[in-house]
Amino acid sequence: MRVSCLQENLTRGLSIVGRAVSPRSTLPILSHILLATDGGRLRLSATNLEIGINCWIGARVEEEGSIAIPARTLIDLVNALPPDRVDMEGIVRTMTLNLRCGRSEANIKGMDAVEFPPVPVPEGESGIQIDPEVLRTAISQVAFAAATDEARPILTGVLVLFDDNQMVLAAADGYRLSVRQAALGEPLSESLSVIVPARAMTELGRICGDQLKGADSAAAVIATVTPDHNRILFQLPDVVLVSQLIPGSFPDYAQIIPQGRNTRTVVGTAELIKACRTAQIFAREGANIVQFHIHPQGELEPGRIVVSATSAETGDDVSELDASIEGEAVDIAFNVNYTIDALSVIGTPQVALDTTSSSSPGVLRPVGEDNFVHVIMPMHMGQ
Amino acid sequence: MRNDTSIRVLPPDVAAQIAAGEVVERPASVVKELVENSIDAGATDVRVDVEKGGRQSIRITDDGRGIPAAEVEIAFQRHSTSKLARAEDLDHIVTLGFRGEALASIAAVSRVTLVTRAEGEEIGTLMRLESGAVVDQRPIGRPPGTAITVQDLFYNVPARRKFLRTEATERRHIDAWVTRYAIAYPHLRLLLSHDGRETFRTPGNDDLREVLIAAYGMEVGANLVEILEDPGSGSPIRVRGFASPPSLHRANRGGITLFLNGRWIQDSRLTYAVIQAYHTLLPSGRYPVAVVMIAMPPDQVDVNVHPAKAEVRFSDGDAVFRAVQRAVRNSVTGQAPIAPTAFLRPAASGGRPWEGRSPVWAARASDAGESPLGQQPLLPQHAPAAIPALRVIGQVGAAFVVAEGPEGLYLIDQHAAHERVLYERMMAEREQGLPSQGLLTPLTVDLSPEAAGLLEAHLDSLHRLGFVLEPFGGSTVLVRALPAVLTRARPAEVLPDVVEALEEGRSMVDAEVEQAVMRRVCKRAAVKAGQVLTREEMAGLIQALEACASPRTCPHGRPTMIHISVDQLAREFGRE
Repeated sequence: MRVSCLQENLTRGLSIVGRAVSPRSTLPILSHILLATDGGRLRLSATNLEIGINCWIGARVEEEGSIAIPARTLIDLVNALPPDRVDMEGIVRTMTLNLRCGRSEANIKGMDAVEFPPVPVPEGESGIQIDPEVLRTAISQVAFAAATDEARPILTGVLVLFDDNQMVLAAADGYRLSVRQAALGEPLSESLSVIVPARAMTELGRICGDQLKGADSAAAVIATVTPDHNRILFQLPDVVLVSQLIPGSFPDYAQIIPQGRNTRTVVGTAELIKACRTAQIFAREGANIVQFHIHPQGELEPGRIVVSATSAETGDDVSELDASIEGEAVDIAFNVNYTIDALSVIGTPQVALDTTSSSSPGVLRPVGEDNFVHVIMPMHMGQ
Repeated sequence: MRNDTSIRVLPPDVAAQIAAGEVVERPASVVKELVENSIDAGATDVRVDVEKGGRQSIRITDDGRGIPAAEVEIAFQRHSTSKLARAEDLDHIVTLGFRGEALASIAAVSRVTLVTRAEGEEIGTLMRLESGAVVDQRPIGRPPGTAITVQDLFYNVPARRKFLRTEATERRHIDAWVTRYAIAYPHLRLLLSHDGRETFRTPGNDDLREVLIAAYGMEVGANLVEILEDPGSGSPIRVRGFASPPSLHRANRGGITLFLNGRWIQDSRLTYAVIQAYHTLLPSGRYPVAVVMIAMPPDQVDVNVHPAKAEVRFSDGDAVFRAVQRAVRNSVTGQAPIAPTAFLRPAASGGRPWEGRSPVWAARASDAGESPLGQQPLLPQHAPAAIPALRVIGQVGAAFVVAEGPEGLYLIDQHAAHERVLYERMMAEREQGLPSQGLLTPLTVDLSPEAAGLLEAHLDSLHRLGFVLEPFGGSTVLVRALPAVLTRARPAEVLPDVVEALEEGRSMVDAEVEQAVMRRVCKRAAVKAGQVLTREEMAGLIQALEACASPRTCPHGRPTMIHISVDQLAREFGRE
């Protein structure tokens, strides 16, 4: 293999695929990045067997070939190079990559590309087309709610549902649920429902964000599921992310979202986040509890929400916010981290908190949009 | 044919033998009664010589007040005593003996030779008795004090003699009694010999620590921490003594010795009070070693329950229980040294300052500040309850935090330490009820019918701890909420744990059952071995541990940390 490319392009490509590298795997090849010539471009691939990323960068190919190079060494080296042309040559006999840039030259010992697990590439351009900005936002609003431990594998994933002309992303970890709906450009002929690991979705969101940076308009992301229904491919310009799917069926999220409410509290999102952040200082010492005392407006006074936290060791904190409140007074407590997580992705200046009782789930919705719902289970003091 | 069931009055000697059986059960009882007499007689030097486990002879020699010649004969009559005059005196007994049975009982079942000279008398008396009858009595010269020789115990009671155990067993019983009195009376110079060989000796300098080392050996005796009286309590019940640090324990309760007003007693409740004081500090099934001396006004306790006087009754048993438990707890949590590292202990015994008997020892024990750091684990200093401020160095095997403190290296078990932190936090929060986190969708957990039943019986207790459970028919339980600390745990695994804790707690009172469940919850919630921690997480953990009241053990009693002093390290590297 003999190939030349620009250091900036190589750095950018490596930073995209580098996130799929599994540094502590028992399989040595997984800590490598595959370099391969591919139709006049250089293809970089990395995988941890759950997620795989392919990234193509412009290059001048003088001799076809491929080699797997330790990711850490390659990334650190390329980052340290001057912004200049990089000439790379794979020496098959010694499984070494010779790399020259400006006046420096390096040799990196690699592995045979044959050992690298294949990272599938999509066949053709057909698939479900999603606006990258919509996808990025939706992922940021949902993926954090997925479970991080493996107790219930399904909950470590994000439900990705395509039906007619809309997409739904949903994730839940047993204590909270996030659901985001988005319209698709064109109606689909058939619906599709898969569970994608939250880590893959987060990575996808990040790549979408990267590509949107500096670009006025980006091409749609094309999603396809492999015929064996084992993997999903997300195709972006010059990048393909492949992820394993989590088998099983996702809990019926619609049933979890409470239908009625006794109280609706509308309050400034930023103010509420600020109050929660203050409460967090004390809440984090204990069980992360933030309490909301919701008082509807009286004849003379406006409605208000009192946000408080108490720590047996550190002290306590109370913040009061004006709010527009419909319904009865209620005291309810939540995990402050969950609350901040959700408020941070509401995306509108005002947020509505719907409550039924102090032991029923609380529902957060953006005011003025009806495409996002976040459900949080309350906490309470046993006695 | 004679009717064997006709009622007769027993001849005096038979009655005496029966009564003697209550007081004199075995050779050790003779030793106990006679040593008590010596102590009551104000002796400071008592020598016990035993032959053949006491079957052949027991001789007690003291330097006490002695018995005046004129009273020697009455001394052996039943219910004769110098220690009590009126019935009201029974309300405030300050002597060990008082029933006036011991000498008579012993004399009834053996051959006794008494040689005594009372203070202020010119000449002593020798008296020999067989089966309680005087066979010889004459004046004799000897220094003030008393020597009693008891030979051929039970020679006239074959039934009892037959039930004596092996010589070794009887020896052990004698040793136990002599040890008890040595501990209770550290001012007493006590010497015990078996078959002419000295086996035990106390210096009689009123230093209980030295007695403990003589009684329990260096390893245990030197490590016991002192139970200090709480001068501020104002309670008439005062508790002193020594108790083992949590790193030192035994498989049975035999290491717990109780004294009441200088008298050894057996009391299962007070023994339990001592064990209770180690709650969460010892591994389950292990018991502390402790010598607990209770002093209280004699009118609040009845020692006249049984001739052997090992059982007592308190007018306010709960107060005594609390006093003992509190005193032991305070001293153990306040002073327990960190578990010493066995593998790094000095291999050779040479050169240890206490090796050559006492004075050095006394100086060290009383002046902890001067002792070299290297000996810290072995020195029962009054270390503060808190662990020193530690600096995190790193993590070993994703299970142990390595930290440096002012006194060397500390290895901290991350799981045990976190368990302790969570447990104390939960205990503190329990007053207001423990926070509970609702589940988005209630979870059904299938258990055995017994397990489900057990959970159902404790729904209220569990609710207080943050478990909101609902019986769901049969052996299925619906989980609606979990304790907030458990939000990362798996309910299907937590519930069987809780059931196990409830099973263990079958015989416990509610509060203890809750604590047992809490310990399980903490175990589940704590970071596991194998979890890689960031430096911040480690620092946070250690900081939280430093804030704990009992940072040195996990709630199950295992140590949270091992301390290796700089001196120990130097020794291991041969730099000594």
